[in-house]
Amino acid sequence: MTAKRTMTLNLTDAEMRVLDELSARKDITKTAVLRQALRLYQTIDARVEKGEKLLFENDATKEKAELMLL
Amino acid sequence: MTVDVSKIYLLDVASGGSVEAELRDAIEQAQLNDWQTKWRPALLSILQELARKGVPMDQWPQSWHWDWNKKTARVQGLLAFRGFSVVALGETQGLAQIDLTKMGREANQRGKPLVYLDYLEVAPWNRPDLGNAPRLRGVGTALITAAVALSEDEGFKGRLGLHSLPQADNFYRKIGMTDLGQDAAYQNLRYFEMTSEQARAFFEKEENDET
Repeated sequence: MTAKRTMTLNLTDAEMRVLDELSARKDITKTAVLRQALRLYQTIDARVEKGEKLLFENDATKEKAELMLL
Repeated sequence: MTVDVSKIYLLDVASGGSVEAELRDAIEQAQLNDWQTKWRPALLSILQELARKGVPMDQWPQSWHWDWNKKTARVQGLLAFRGFSVVALGETQGLAQIDLTKMGREANQRGKPLVYLDYLEVAPWNRPDLGNAPRLRGVGTALITAAVALSEDEGFKGRLGLHSLPQADNFYRKIGMTDLGQDAAYQNLRYFEMTSEQARAFFEKEENDET
């Protein structure tokens, strides 16, 4: 198992509620939610940096919407 | 990067004895060198033999075109992708690449994160489907076990998903994964998932087989 470090995180009530809700809905710990968020953010950022776009497609209508990352 | 190394045992098919091996939680340059200088020539000679015998291409090993240099370069430095390798008898015996960004599809775990096994390949000389008796057995199972253990370690409760090459479909059924059918969005390969319950059963069976 890879060694891990501990950090203190300051979140607002709203952020904490979202973290709790995601943790329950995704069936993973709050730490796992944050680690997953970091992975996804890094992956998306790396692809956007290479000039790619992040698009969401509605499965039913096939309508596409681009998520703008600044 | 520090590589975590675990000791595992494989079966030497010729002698029936066990061989000590390393399960490494990375694919390093030494493994890529083995793939380039040992796996590829071995696979090439098998493909030439299959062509000489007139075996149709759809019966060739379906991973013959995989390029591990490209696969590892594409995900270099990204936290979402992990690699495993099995090393024994001084050479690489198996490789696996994992994607941690995927979600479950099976009814009871839809939308929940899982470990997605992107690629798994064992060295050509260990593959029973290529005509010759394999040298070592247990490499594929060791890599699957590592993937399920990673799922536990990441808090994904053993959930695992993968698209199977047709020649491996029965292997994934045999280890208890659920066959969710052909995936039209992924070259019509069959998609398999292991649930938390199936992961527990898989580990119990592995432990019983060891004792």
